Amino acid sequence: MDNALFVGLSKQITLRKELDVVANNIANADTAGFKVESLMTANDPQTPWGATHSRQIQFVVDNGLARDFAQGALRQTGGTFDLGLRGDGFFQVQTSGAPSYTRDGRFGIDAQGQLVTAQGDPVLSDGGSPIVIDPTKPAPVIGEDGTVAQGLQVVGKIGVVRFASLSALQKQGGGYYQNVSNIGPQPATDTKIQQGMIEDSNVNPITQITRLIEVSRAYQQVANLMDTSGSVYDEAIQRLGKVN
Amino acid sequence: MRALSTAATGMAAQELNVEVISNNIANMNTVGFKRQRAEFQDLLYQDQEQVGSQSDSTGTVVPTGLQVGSGVKAGSIYRITQQGSMTQTSNPLDVAIQGAGYLQVQLPSGETAYTRAGNLSVNNSGVLVTDQGYPILPQITIPTGATNITISQSGLVSATVPGSSTPSNLGQLQLASFINEAGLEGLGDNLWQVSGASGAAVVAQPGQNGLGTLLQGYTEASNVDAVSEVTALISAQRAYEMNSKVITTADQMLATSVQEKS
Repeated sequence: MDNALFVGLSKQITLRKELDVVANNIANADTAGFKVESLMTANDPQTPWGATHSRQIQFVVDNGLARDFAQGALRQTGGTFDLGLRGDGFFQVQTSGAPSYTRDGRFGIDAQGQLVTAQGDPVLSDGGSPIVIDPTKPAPVIGEDGTVAQGLQVVGKIGVVRFASLSALQKQGGGYYQNVSNIGPQPATDTKIQQGMIEDSNVNPITQITRLIEVSRAYQQVANLMDTSGSVYDEAIQRLGKVN
Repeated sequence: MRALSTAATGMAAQELNVEVISNNIANMNTVGFKRQRAEFQDLLYQDQEQVGSQSDSTGTVVPTGLQVGSGVKAGSIYRITQQGSMTQTSNPLDVAIQGAGYLQVQLPSGETAYTRAGNLSVNNSGVLVTDQGYPILPQITIPTGATNITISQSGLVSATVPGSSTPSNLGQLQLASFINEAGLEGLGDNLWQVSGASGAAVVAQPGQNGLGTLLQGYTEASNVDAVSEVTALISAQRAYEMNSKVITTADQMLATSVQEKS
């Protein structure tokens, strides 16, 4: 009998979760390599208890998070170790356990001369080993295919890989993804590396603010609906409860 | 409601961003200054439904999962060691470094610091010092009355001393390089110190081992680009506003819930 309340509640729960997702998108609007996310919802039809007809009640459930891997804008920084990816590939990073994958190309070098990410994890070559830069040689030039050259000498080739199914990737924070499927990545030969560029987050602020307004209005509407359905009971109880 | 704290992390990050940008703008005319950049990373994700987990006994797999992020954090403040442009000063004791390398400076504590600010001068005993008065290493003394001081590209300092018609050799300036110069620790006053991340200093003559050369009569301007800093400032301010909007929205939604039971 309280179906209107419960359906409303199911909508409010998903709206709150959606607000969390939108808040995370907006907070990361300036995070290099960040990919925008949105909450997916679905109907969950339920037959009410004791119903004599087949009309079902449609609850709302959140059933997943869609990640839009569209290319972010490449921003010029002029940094030697700032690398932007153009295409659907990922850099490979050596982390404890399995390798991680990232599109955040704000690299640097550590005290051993290894090419590392902003968190200090080594970036891997196409052969799966760290890339070592010699500080006594000229500044490295990184080609579109990832070849790292110091003067005339090639010191390594940055490996870029792609995934057949991007839904196999799980976010780790820090711009890292991990592969949770059994299917390994393939070399991404058509993805180009741009030296001196960074891939900006692909969050579109206007879309996110619009979504914010929609979420907040929908929440109010559902609250009104729950209010109304509550007052129906109030009235019924008051009228039917009158003795004389 | 997670959105409140998520938006708060976003506001804190933009605050730091504005601090870094304002420091860049404030140091636009500081000799040898290198601009800095705040780098942000997304925070940990909470798995509400893990990607690839089985959703029933027949082996159906969750295709996308449900991971909700908890905001943003400042990863690091990265120093962009791009070459600054050369400003002509015509002062014979000004040297600019063209390319990689740092001048070595002896601090009063006896430790060695490194600088790219080559606006040098001499102290009362004729020693070549930085503008704070700290001697440059290896120490070079310029005799009183010396004229025609020349500093060559490779760092050789020579001058004509009274009583001699040919220039005499006064010493050799050296430069230090680091595997990871972005890892140097800032001391202020344009001085930098070796840290665990920078690696040890490799000292050599200018022009050798990939080091830059010296240019007398010039100083290296800061590499801050006013236009891009102001653009960054605008975008940081807008990002801050957007995050505060999220807080307002979350607050309104909470208020709606509270009012329901009235």
